[in-house]
Amino acid sequence: MKNETMENKPMSRRSFLKTSALLGGSAAGLGAVEKISSKGFGRGKIDYPLNDAENVIYSVCLQCHTDCPIKVKIEDGVAVKIDGNPYSIQNLNSPIPTSTDIQVGAKIDAGLCPKGQAGIQTMYDPYRVVKVLKRAGKRGEGKWKVIPFDKAITEVVEGGKLFADVPGEENRIVEGMRQVRALTDAKVAKDMAGDAMNVGKGKMSLADFKAKHAAHLDLLIDPDQPDLGPKNNQFLMLAGRMEHGRKEFAKRWHKGAYGSNNFMEHTTVCEQSHHIAYKQVTSQYVDGGKWKIVSEHMKPDFRNSRFVIYFGTGFVEANFGPPIMANLATNAIVDDGCKVVVVDPRFSKSAAKAWKWVPVRPNGDAALIYAMIRWMFENDKINKEFLVNANKAAAKKANEESWTSATHLVAYDKEGPAKKLRASDLGIGTSDQFVTTQGGQPVAVNTNDKLNAVVGDLFFSGELNGIKVKSELLMVKEYAMSKSMEEWAKEAGLRVKDIVEVVREYVKYGRQAAAEMYRGPVQHTNGYFNGMAVIYMNMLVGNIDYNGGLIKGGGHYHEDGSKGGPFNLKKDAFAGKTKSFGHKITREGSYYEHSSYFQKNGYPAKRPWFPHTGNVYQEAIPSMDDAYPYGVKILMTIMGTPLLSNPAAHMSMKTILDLKKTPLYIANDVAVGETSMFADYIFPDLAIWERWGTPHVTPVAVTKMSKVRQPTIEPLTDTATIFGEKQHVGFESMLLALAEKLNLPGYGDDGFGKGMPFKRIEDWYLKMATNIAAGDHHGDDLPDADARELAIFKKARRHMSADTFDFDRWSKACTDANGKNWFKKTVYLLNRGVRGEDFTNYTKNVENSDKILHKFGKMFNFYCEKVANTRHSYTGKKFSGISQYNHAFDYAGKEVVGSSAYPLKSITYKPITGGQARTQAVDYWLQAVMPENTLDINSQTALEMGFKNGDMAKVVSADNPEGMWDLGPSGKKPMVAKIRTVEGLRPGVLCASWSFGHWAYCSRDIVVDGKVIKGEKSRESGVCTNAAQTVDSGLKNSCLEDLIGGSAVFYDSFVGLVKA
Amino acid sequence: MSKEELSRVSENLTLETDESRREFLDKFTKGVFGGLVVGGVVSVLAPVQAKAQKEGSNLNESTPFKPFVLPPEQPGEDAILRMMRDIQRALKKPIEQRHWNMVIDLRKCVGCDACSVSCAAENKLPPGVIYRPVIQQEIGSYPNVGHITLPRPCMQCDEPPCVPVCPAEATWKRPDGIVAVDYDQCIGCRYCLNACPYNARTFDFGMEYIDDTADAPQVFLGKEKAGKYETEASYEYAKEWKRKEDASPIGNARKCHFCVPRIEKGMLPECVVTCIGRATYFGDGNDPDSLVSELIALPNAFRLKEEIGTRPSVYYIK
Repeated sequence: MKNETMENKPMSRRSFLKTSALLGGSAAGLGAVEKISSKGFGRGKIDYPLNDAENVIYSVCLQCHTDCPIKVKIEDGVAVKIDGNPYSIQNLNSPIPTSTDIQVGAKIDAGLCPKGQAGIQTMYDPYRVVKVLKRAGKRGEGKWKVIPFDKAITEVVEGGKLFADVPGEENRIVEGMRQVRALTDAKVAKDMAGDAMNVGKGKMSLADFKAKHAAHLDLLIDPDQPDLGPKNNQFLMLAGRMEHGRKEFAKRWHKGAYGSNNFMEHTTVCEQSHHIAYKQVTSQYVDGGKWKIVSEHMKPDFRNSRFVIYFGTGFVEANFGPPIMANLATNAIVDDGCKVVVVDPRFSKSAAKAWKWVPVRPNGDAALIYAMIRWMFENDKINKEFLVNANKAAAKKANEESWTSATHLVAYDKEGPAKKLRASDLGIGTSDQFVTTQGGQPVAVNTNDKLNAVVGDLFFSGELNGIKVKSELLMVKEYAMSKSMEEWAKEAGLRVKDIVEVVREYVKYGRQAAAEMYRGPVQHTNGYFNGMAVIYMNMLVGNIDYNGGLIKGGGHYHEDGSKGGPFNLKKDAFAGKTKSFGHKITREGSYYEHSSYFQKNGYPAKRPWFPHTGNVYQEAIPSMDDAYPYGVKILMTIMGTPLLSNPAAHMSMKTILDLKKTPLYIANDVAVGETSMFADYIFPDLAIWERWGTPHVTPVAVTKMSKVRQPTIEPLTDTATIFGEKQHVGFESMLLALAEKLNLPGYGDDGFGKGMPFKRIEDWYLKMATNIAAGDHHGDDLPDADARELAIFKKARRHMSADTFDFDRWSKACTDANGKNWFKKTVYLLNRGVRGEDFTNYTKNVENSDKILHKFGKMFNFYCEKVANTRHSYTGKKFSGISQYNHAFDYAGKEVVGSSAYPLKSITYKPITGGQARTQAVDYWLQAVMPENTLDINSQTALEMGFKNGDMAKVVSADNPEGMWDLGPSGKKPMVAKIRTVEGLRPGVLCASWSFGHWAYCSRDIVVDGKVIKGEKSRESGVCTNAAQTVDSGLKNSCLEDLIGGSAVFYDSFVGLVKA
Repeated sequence: MSKEELSRVSENLTLETDESRREFLDKFTKGVFGGLVVGGVVSVLAPVQAKAQKEGSNLNESTPFKPFVLPPEQPGEDAILRMMRDIQRALKKPIEQRHWNMVIDLRKCVGCDACSVSCAAENKLPPGVIYRPVIQQEIGSYPNVGHITLPRPCMQCDEPPCVPVCPAEATWKRPDGIVAVDYDQCIGCRYCLNACPYNARTFDFGMEYIDDTADAPQVFLGKEKAGKYETEASYEYAKEWKRKEDASPIGNARKCHFCVPRIEKGMLPECVVTCIGRATYFGDGNDPDSLVSELIALPNAFRLKEEIGTRPSVYYIK
């Protein structure tokens, strides 16, 4: 700006400030601005640097489990902007080819949700833990001291009087990891494992076991119950969010090297029953009487569906997940006229785009579906041509890809439906063949037979060879017909008219209609069955593998090397690898009847056993409380906060505060969180954008893709020297340091085999990335990065020290056992963050075929034989093989009901700004969008209860009439928030979003090294209603559960509201 | 969404008393913003003739656009790629011959706020400054309920009311349609804030998000390291702006500029690329082959407050 221009100005900044001061105007907000710049404007010659591949590192978000591929843009070593990765089908509808030049890729930004955008603020949280903190007061008192990493490692390994300076703990001796790891000999473990489990099954006598293993009985938790496994199991590793890459890293350490069987994740607080429903319905029969799990979830093909019913979920929030689904759904709705129905007590942002919102009563999903199924049967709208196919050959002949068990016969015994009838039962075939009927005559079916097509009668009931039998579809039909439309509608809390309107439309679109679910229908005691019912909706219209129908997705390249990659990390049989054994603390994966507890006590079991599910998060701490099936000595949590996230989590506080029930608690966290605040040690974890991972892609993706999370900045945590290598502290490096200290097998110079060290984090992850780059078969490998790409790769990491990035060291980690170096291919992958299948494969296919590109091509079960032959561990009664509608019952069989004081069904949801417990509290940009959550009730409900919009209210329940979170030494936090009266919520329901109501995360002051560190009050806003959820009357210290799928129940509790 | 509902929402945009806007601003200011807004001295209905294009703005001096080769076109291609092709074409023309337009398809807007956040991150916006809020409102009554979402960037009016009221001539209309602000010339009087019928401008009070946090680098990450991303450069109007005390853009009126530094490099505005519902479109309205030209021609396209004659460059589809 020239001086003369300045003079010509009517007013300069300085003169304005002077004038306004004279007029008495406040210049308070402007005081800082008195400089008059002489710089010009609009003459900028600054290049925009964020479009240059040299300033971009691709990685993968984890603000939610959708795991969107991202590009992180770096300036001065700081991550300044995050955008979606254009090579990725999760971000760009039609991903750019993997072969696209990386300088072009750098200029194309793709979709990303607000959480992904705000990741920067999670990483650069001023309160991020970067050093090891050790408790300096009572557990949960909020007093800490900083201690050196090495000292912390020594303490947790060796144990001793670790808290001698804490009053009351002067003489408490803590067992360290070394002592708890009693069983160190892999051979002994291998010898004992099978026998120990056979004692539980009653196949080997205890006396025989004791005689045979006399020398090693002291290694067991309880020599009288060898099926509980070795003492090693008393180290419980409890992960919140842990995904592929890190999960395998942790399991290799915990199970394979340390020898504990207790590694588990959080899935049951998420939506596990939905996975279990899919796993059971899609499990495949293999000869010898086994059922093989092949798919844990499938999705509608949102690109081509003409009609989609979303049960308790949508495409804008949560699910799996927003960027890809929202994009496809809005395009389909607006451009292609796709109709959407949202079944949800809450009017979600997806419902806002829907043709019809169906405000179902919480847990009414299966009733609604059975009403629709009944209507489909009555109006002859099931896809009979599809359902008659009884095996693969029949499907093939009918030009189908998948088929169902609709026509297979189920054999009944005294108790009711039992196993599926086998051809051998009738003397017409083998015990690996099922039976169907043709014109009433039994026919053997080999379901996997590709050559001999068998079609069967859909509806058969009768007696064959003295055995009462029914076809599976008839069982479903009879169940659907067991209530009238009016009765089903009443259970669902809906009008018959609305139900009919939806189903009439649903059957109009042939194979291009689909039913979708996630968390909503399944976090109920009836969750597994509700989920199964949703899958039936797809099976009955025969939409599997069709464009617009139910699809399995494009899948991924196998990072574990199981498909021929250069590093087979799946079968990583390192010397000294231990066979971990024994029932898990949560009894997941174990039949009660196969336990010494059953042999001793029979029914009822003290706590439920979960043979068909895993990662039963909400059971872990309550089981420690009951020491059932045994007590735990070391608890480690990683990126999880069970004391906040679990329904009725408040009941677990006392267990963690109890030094006998929880002798040593080590947390891995990026902050002093709601659960880690109760820890003895907090080890800093790396933030998502500083670490590695190889998470899998959502089935919504129609083409194959793999993605690699990699460090984008120099991690902000302290460094430590581990195996002689300086590296940043995080979960993985902590495990490496523990491995070094404990001298665990499988680590150090020859950790991956002769001359292949496992001493650094990237020694593992670069191998995983290399497997992806190498592909799933010979000739499937990516090109080498050329000299220019290698130079850009290095330059993009110029802000990293050798502690994080060293070109030669990284290269060495990519040399396989045969001496072949793959690094240039790995760089090619890391330079793009993903590798994806050519998208034109999809477009060509969709133009020429009505079937989806990547097909499931297998059987769907109406009747799940394994579940049908599993018994409730309290009552000893068999579960149903087909989907059922049930009210909410607790473990002891007591129905969950409301009362006049507690009349409201409590539900939750995740706004798109809140992925995990931490997201909303820390990320200011997200706080700005949604600074607090509210207690949402329908305006009519508010009127009846005497509440106005904006009133403060407290959530109370029969099990928590005080409405408090009791935080022990940190006092109490009331469940108080603002009432919001809305129209978009079913009357009689209370809805509060997830991600709020924090009491830690530095929302309050804490004391470190004797100094008070002020908290940031804004982090404490809103409410978490988990402490108001029903405490199971049969368990007394934990929430309601789905006993098949294992899900923690979030939507069956009744609560009340009182003025606050 | 009915016309009445829309006009109600758009009406709300201009009212200082509007609940949702004030609430929104409060959120973005962490409660500091309220009460500091200078009283309006210029009527919203003041003459809206745009000043002549700023002379000697030397826009052509910014680094020339170097075209890059996008992947080949394919059927069913993501709109992002098509729009990038559109803007490459536009950038080959002299600046006077292109007119940047934005189209927001409200049927596709899912109200996720990704655009607001992405914009704040890209432009290093401090608390209190917001370029692209998304106004949201529930309508109807149970069970016949609706939810309106309305992203509201700067309308880049062809007759911008903010321009004539500026006593410092710090804001003007560029030949490509963007209403620019010269931060160095802006005196911070905030007349433009009041003049804008869309409330598209906010004031930069120099706050930082981490202001209320404790500084404990001996224990935690600490303020200095945590705050770095807030003070890295933003590239508004092809100039490097690093936030530091006493320097622009602190103390200035700020608003959406269609991501000028990005579009001049052939990239789309952040709100367009990040949009997970693909509801926001951008391109050259002077190019009949561009996607935005097609969309503007739709019968259900409209502009906010058409009646006051501001001639916004932003269109909506309902």
